[in-house]
Amino acid sequence: MSEHLHPTDIISTVEFNHSGELLATGDKGGRVVIFQQEQENKTQSHSRGEYNVYSTFQSHEPEFDYLKSLEIEEKINKIRWLPQKNAAQFLLSTNDKTIKLWKISERDKRPEGYNLKEEDGRYRDPTTVTTLRVPVFRPMDLMVEASPRRIFANAHTYHINSISINSDYETYLSADDLRINLWHLEITDRSFNIVDIKPANMEELTEVITAAEFHPNSCNTFVYSSSKGTIRLCDMRASALCDRHSKLFEEPEDPSNRSFFSEIISSISDVKFSHSGRYMMTRDYLSVKIWDLNMENRPVETYQVHEYLRSKLCSLYENDCIFDKFECCWNGSDSIVMTGSYNNFFRMFDRNTKRDITLEASRENNKPRTVLKPRKVCASGKRKKDEISVDSLDFNKKILHTAWHPKENIIAVATTNNLYIFQDKMN
Amino acid sequence: MLGRGLKRKLSDYEENVAGLSSAFDSSRNLPYPLKRQLVLNMCLTKLQTYKMLVEPNLHRSVLIANTVRQIQEEMRQESSQPINVCTGITPSSHSYTGMESSGISLQLPSGISQQESNCCDLRSFPENTGLKLEDDRQDLKGAECVFGSFEISNSTSYLKDLAIDDIFEDIDTSMYDSDFCCPPLMPPRPPPICRTDLSELDHIMEILVGS
Repeated sequence: MSEHLHPTDIISTVEFNHSGELLATGDKGGRVVIFQQEQENKTQSHSRGEYNVYSTFQSHEPEFDYLKSLEIEEKINKIRWLPQKNAAQFLLSTNDKTIKLWKISERDKRPEGYNLKEEDGRYRDPTTVTTLRVPVFRPMDLMVEASPRRIFANAHTYHINSISINSDYETYLSADDLRINLWHLEITDRSFNIVDIKPANMEELTEVITAAEFHPNSCNTFVYSSSKGTIRLCDMRASALCDRHSKLFEEPEDPSNRSFFSEIISSISDVKFSHSGRYMMTRDYLSVKIWDLNMENRPVETYQVHEYLRSKLCSLYENDCIFDKFECCWNGSDSIVMTGSYNNFFRMFDRNTKRDITLEASRENNKPRTVLKPRKVCASGKRKKDEISVDSLDFNKKILHTAWHPKENIIAVATTNNLYIFQDKMN
Repeated sequence: MLGRGLKRKLSDYEENVAGLSSAFDSSRNLPYPLKRQLVLNMCLTKLQTYKMLVEPNLHRSVLIANTVRQIQEEMRQESSQPINVCTGITPSSHSYTGMESSGISLQLPSGISQQESNCCDLRSFPENTGLKLEDDRQDLKGAECVFGSFEISNSTSYLKDLAIDDIFEDIDTSMYDSDFCCPPLMPPRPPPICRTDLSELDHIMEILVGS
């Protein structure tokens, strides 16, 4: 795989648009950086176009909530693209409290030859105008502009963890720890609450919402995952307030794996529907699970991401790593799933061949344009050459965010400070 | 590494926790009650730290609180003393109010040693010392600062006074001590409110009625 490296601020979200031509990243500083794939170079048919910076803009600023005396972080939690309807691109970006709809448009022509204005913008004295001319559009250097078109604010008491655009392309949901709201993209002054798990007495709170997503094809169906390792599928046709689920997905716990940390590691950090809509994938601390929507009592496939960490849970609890929220993603054909791990490792699981691979996103260990070498972690006992022992893993180097191009074998992997884009080597 | 030692300062305590968690992970010979106590202490320390934050992470707080509750439930069942049940509250209730009203908390018979009372604090967690405000008020009070009236009582003294060996001593004695596990049946009463809460309540009432 060839590699393209972009140093940035701490990346907090990565998302390809529907065609894969654009890749958006959000960072801790509230900025959105969009990369665009170069058009394929006919002479260099052995590689697809590289991704270069297309647009950078400040999406969110830090705010202060005077009522609660709290600072609201500008960190971008999620970005979701709308499908393209015209020349402009639209995306939703959200921090803990506010969702914004951004329009990204190109300008490559500008009008010249005004009668009442000089070229630099100064107004001409009308009395000096002796002849009239018609302004014409002349080409200019491409300028990409981002402008906020809608701001959806003040609907969440708790921290927003997910946004998901409905397949009707008119509505979207936003989820925080305890509630899920439904919005219309055109309407910013109100939203409809569709899930509320806040107990009347907050002391009775034992479960929070961790992620939510609309079904890719059924505009009435969405799922949300919880900190107790359950996923609820809701049908908005059943009732206005979807507090009662249509389906509850939960796998009974394996008693041999029981520990003090069982509940913590069962908390689901991400849920993603397959492109087909037939399956959904969940990520908990140690594994990735694939669920068939028709079967609620257990997943159809389970992949261990880093089972060697099971014997280290107390240390990982002590340093808070056990709370890290890893995301997961499908490839375009739903045949491979990918997720991140520690030491800048990321893992891919081929659902058909049942093979898996561990790769590393790191400047030191990979020269650009070389094929990535598979990695292996040695859990215990004798360490073979090129293997890495569990104790020498760097838990500060975590890959939480990964994305897969919707059509091609191009992946984006975010380490703490760098964005890596890997491409399949075309033969 | 785990032998009896001198009383240590708080910073040493934290370093010891780090050493203990690796010991937890690597040693198969650590007795289960010891492991459990270690995890419980780590949980309470974290919650204590979160309490000092303006806006603790709700997700983490819920997970840690559930872990504490689970451990305490296990410890209580192990002690196999008959649970003191106040009218209307069942021992199997999973709510915090259920737990703390089951007779173990707050009213310590005099004569209990400091050590045992610290252990008692762990078991009476979370103590319902806060105001019982309505939900909106709790939200306004920044109840992303978890659960509204969720408090650890005497927490500072717990951390400073407890030395490493004291934690281990607790396991053998006070948990199984029948003196405080089974106080005589009390008539049902509302959870006692501390003095500070009363004055806060008065203060708020003053503001509301504008007197």
